[in-house]
Amino acid sequence: MKPNGAVDSVGGSRNFATTHWSVVLSCASTKGKENKAQAALSQLCRTYWRPIFTFVCRRGYSVNDAQDLTQDFFLMIFSGNLLHHADPNRGRFRSLLLKALQNFLIDANQKRRARKRGGAIDFVSWDDWMAEAPSQLSVPARVLEAWPAERLYDLRWAATVAEQALRRLSEECESRGRRRVFDVLSSCLTADRRDVSYEKFALLLGVPISSVRRLVHQLRVRYRILLREEVAQTVEDLHDIDDEIRYLCAALAAAEGQSA
Amino acid sequence: MNFCGLADSCAQIADSAEKCPQCGSVSWVRHDLCVSCLLRGGLEANEEETNSLEALLAEVQMRDTDWRLGNYLILEEIGRGGMGVIYRARQKHSRRIVAVKRVLNYHADSQETLARFRREAEAAASLDHPNILPIYEVGVSDGMPFFSMKFAPGGSLLQFARSIRNEPRKCVALMAKVARGVSYAHGQGIIHRDLKPGNILLDGRGEPLVSDFGLAKWLDATSDLTRTLTIFGTPGYIAPEQALGHQQGLNPAADVYSLGAILFDLLTGQPPFLGEHALAVIKQAGEQSAPKLRSIVPGLDRDLETICARCLEREVGARYHSANELAADLERYLEGRPIIARPISPPARLWRWSRRNRALASSLAGCLLLGGAALIWEGKNWRLEASLRKEIIAAHSVAVLPFLNLDAPAPDPSATQAINDALEKRMSAIGPGKTNVFRKPFAKWTGTGNATEVQLTAQQANTRAVLVGMFRQVGPNVRLSLRLLSKNGTDVLGGWTLEAKTLQGAIHAFVTTNVGAAIYNSLDTPTRSPNESQLDPVNADPTARAYFHAGRELMGRRTIPDMDRSINCLEHAVRAVPNSVAAHSYLALAYVGRNYLLSNPADVENAYHAANRAVQLSPHDANAHRALAFVCGLIGHHDEALEHSLCSLEAGDPSERALSYVAEAWKHLGRPDKAVQWFEKAGASETLTSDLAATLGDAWMLLADDERARRQYEISANFRPDLPEGWTGLCHLKVLNSDFNGARSLFKEHAAEHKDFHTTKPFQAQIEFFARNFSEAERLYDELHQANANDVSVDQYGALTNASALARLKMIRGDIRSANRLLDECIANDQAKLAKTPRHPEVLYRLSAEEATRGDTVKSLTYLQASITAGWCDYRSPRLDPRFDAVANTPEFQKILSSLAAEVNSLKQQLSSNSPQ
Repeated sequence: MKPNGAVDSVGGSRNFATTHWSVVLSCASTKGKENKAQAALSQLCRTYWRPIFTFVCRRGYSVNDAQDLTQDFFLMIFSGNLLHHADPNRGRFRSLLLKALQNFLIDANQKRRARKRGGAIDFVSWDDWMAEAPSQLSVPARVLEAWPAERLYDLRWAATVAEQALRRLSEECESRGRRRVFDVLSSCLTADRRDVSYEKFALLLGVPISSVRRLVHQLRVRYRILLREEVAQTVEDLHDIDDEIRYLCAALAAAEGQSA
Repeated sequence: MNFCGLADSCAQIADSAEKCPQCGSVSWVRHDLCVSCLLRGGLEANEEETNSLEALLAEVQMRDTDWRLGNYLILEEIGRGGMGVIYRARQKHSRRIVAVKRVLNYHADSQETLARFRREAEAAASLDHPNILPIYEVGVSDGMPFFSMKFAPGGSLLQFARSIRNEPRKCVALMAKVARGVSYAHGQGIIHRDLKPGNILLDGRGEPLVSDFGLAKWLDATSDLTRTLTIFGTPGYIAPEQALGHQQGLNPAADVYSLGAILFDLLTGQPPFLGEHALAVIKQAGEQSAPKLRSIVPGLDRDLETICARCLEREVGARYHSANELAADLERYLEGRPIIARPISPPARLWRWSRRNRALASSLAGCLLLGGAALIWEGKNWRLEASLRKEIIAAHSVAVLPFLNLDAPAPDPSATQAINDALEKRMSAIGPGKTNVFRKPFAKWTGTGNATEVQLTAQQANTRAVLVGMFRQVGPNVRLSLRLLSKNGTDVLGGWTLEAKTLQGAIHAFVTTNVGAAIYNSLDTPTRSPNESQLDPVNADPTARAYFHAGRELMGRRTIPDMDRSINCLEHAVRAVPNSVAAHSYLALAYVGRNYLLSNPADVENAYHAANRAVQLSPHDANAHRALAFVCGLIGHHDEALEHSLCSLEAGDPSERALSYVAEAWKHLGRPDKAVQWFEKAGASETLTSDLAATLGDAWMLLADDERARRQYEISANFRPDLPEGWTGLCHLKVLNSDFNGARSLFKEHAAEHKDFHTTKPFQAQIEFFARNFSEAERLYDELHQANANDVSVDQYGALTNASALARLKMIRGDIRSANRLLDECIANDQAKLAKTPRHPEVLYRLSAEEATRGDTVKSLTYLQASITAGWCDYRSPRLDPRFDAVANTPEFQKILSSLAAEVNSLKQQLSSNSPQ
């Protein structure tokens, strides 16, 4: 399953004016366009199910219950509830989803409607989703234990954005038949590290060291653009991208400051 | 707190809170990328994006298409162990995501080992249980075995354990399921051998899935060149009997021990034994009882302590009898019913202890009777004192294994006794100690000091160490090689080589020099063989190190372009550090690897030079000698191959492969009788009897003992139906006895299974050729010749080549011109080979056949005689081979062959009189 926004060529697809979230918002209330909205929303949910699951877990539910509740939450969203709530408020997909989730959990608690496991068709195929896009986020135990659910939700969200952009960068390299370039060099994406041996990279890839340096630079440039594209999918207005990134960075920093 | 089930769904728990040096954040993806830094990068995005990434990517020559495994596209590496690497991969057609495990550092020299891997992996693939990770496919790509399996998205217990540590019931429920899965596999006859948290994976629902059943030994042993410790399994989780190197006698109890160790780890956060390094952990597991669960986490239930202790008993018989029993007890615990396992009473413990330490126990019996066992048992001081006394008595005890006469090859009891007496005398002069000759014969004694026999000897003789020795004639001298091994069979305490005119002289030298004292001292200070590659000078030079490590990494990928680059890198490393044994050894391996993929003779020569250099640099390195022996065998330097395989044995290589190299060399040097003896030794050292059966059959066939040959070929055909050697051997015996119809029908019966083997069709052609069904033979050879102009398949019975057979057939049909063209080519090729290896029996024999085809009787007979002198001993094939028609009726030909037959017959007589079956 490739993400909908798979890019046709490296460096192409800069024009991402219609984001998934803007499609959801613009189509939700328009007659005849509900299907389009559903498809866009479904795509978003497939990408951002982990923050939801994490939030439910952190609220004290067992793994199995959390999985069932996540399934139910998605079913609720697709029955159209979120869209109706979404329309008047407008805003970021992230915050709207969280608000809906919080309401849903209160609701679920009141009704105590434990869905019989295996009874309904699962919206989420956990194994497939996790296999398709496994996450490799790691955090110290104290973070998982000490952070409130909302902060963990943001952390998981931030990691999903970062990992999604990584995945797309690797797919772009793969589509050029150069997946190995990504495998070898992606550890240099954040910043120069002293222990990095450009010499070994050059040998592994069979290119001069100067090319390794240029490749690392270009991978970083491309990664940043892909990251912005990912964030763009979750905001309505492209001018909000910077704000959303800043929000996620601040959320991480604040939570880490708290727990340290 | 009941939080976060699936490692992947929420996050993996990092063991250390490593802070990002840039921003101080503690959240990472892939352990090497800081989430915060990745995000902030987005704020610095350069809107002036160009297409230069695409252009730059295109500059990289190496494309991914070079790197597929069978039907799988490799997506990313997700794990790496000593011998295996694991990828997330996508299946081509179904696009299903799977995990693919590939066996690296694999020895490309053995088709048989490959087939054995396949068979074991297929057995594991047949396991069908909800708690066992399903294997989808077993395959081979570029000669490297791999298997694909379900991708377990929940990670492994390594990551998951922390999240359930404070919930003992969850830990128990999980391990009960694991134990059920393990028990099911035991019922199918498969033992895991390496159960550990990393091998217990979790599916999307958090259900445990046991992975790598029965495959541990293929994945976790390090390659021979880097091997310092031949223990399969993971320290901390493997049973003591397994840690001591007992591979053959392993039974389900070893897995029960590991299950207990994992449960212990889940409940306490640490495996039962901890140590600074693997050896320390293994040593503890072998020598001490596991700590009590509640000595680490006092709040845990006593029943859980009892269950763990029962699994972790050092005595195999004291553990749960099966994984099923363990599962049942765990379930009883969960249901609140009384568990079956009982804490062991002090008297029982004492009895067990005394069984392990018989000699000491009897001398201490009186003291125990006086004080009351239970009371004394509780006193910690007593324990200390006892262990001290035990040390003193047992520390300086050596068992002497029967010394191996490499020229026979057989044990030499009188030499062994002489050495024992000498050693005892020397040692008693230095300090207290005991030696004893270990005479009790093993069923499978090799005398090379492999881990099993050393360990068994030490156990039965109750000694600290075992002295292993071998001797042989080297020029005018006798060389005596001695090695002192610790009782676990893997630690080398010392090694000595002595030379003298006679064996008695060597023993005398042994007595009069300080070897005795050296042995005594090394018993006091056990040394560990250092890791060669760490000590190697290549690591001192940063550039050379980059080349060396890149070369090793690329070699692991085993594709042709990677091999090219690997060779390139290792050559750089060798140039930068010309005295690096490791770089030369790996370079030799890389060349052998590329030759395996490409069959390029130049690679074999380069491998020869590299291995030769490694031996020159380190003349007592067993692995370097063995690599060189293998390469020498490949290029037909059989006398060198023999020398180096013997050197590798003397340097302490006890593997069955080294033994089989000696056998191969003897086979080619015209001594099938010795080949038989060494093959039997090789077959005895491991459970490889069926793997070696066909080659042993060939040796019997050369000795014209068709009955024994047939028996071996049948073993091969029955136990290795995946390989053609068994039935082709049987077929060939029929050909040699002119039963061509029998050979044809046998061929028909089996050929379909192995129609793609490169030897199958040439063999069919050979049957028709020898049966003198010339028109059919010519048709088959014509096809072969067209399909493969470069005749590389020279490993046919009777040193037949497709081109030379076709030349003879053209000659018979009167097409003299084609025949001569083919013959000229064959002769030129073989002359070129002969220039490089002047004593190559097969090449000499081929030239004899080709000259006979050309009609040059004198040359043919000269070559025939030369090939026999060099070691050719098949006297039956030339009598059937139509290539020899021109000389077949000459009295000289008859004479040469009958004298060869007489010689072979006397070898056979000698052999059977030496070892009546």
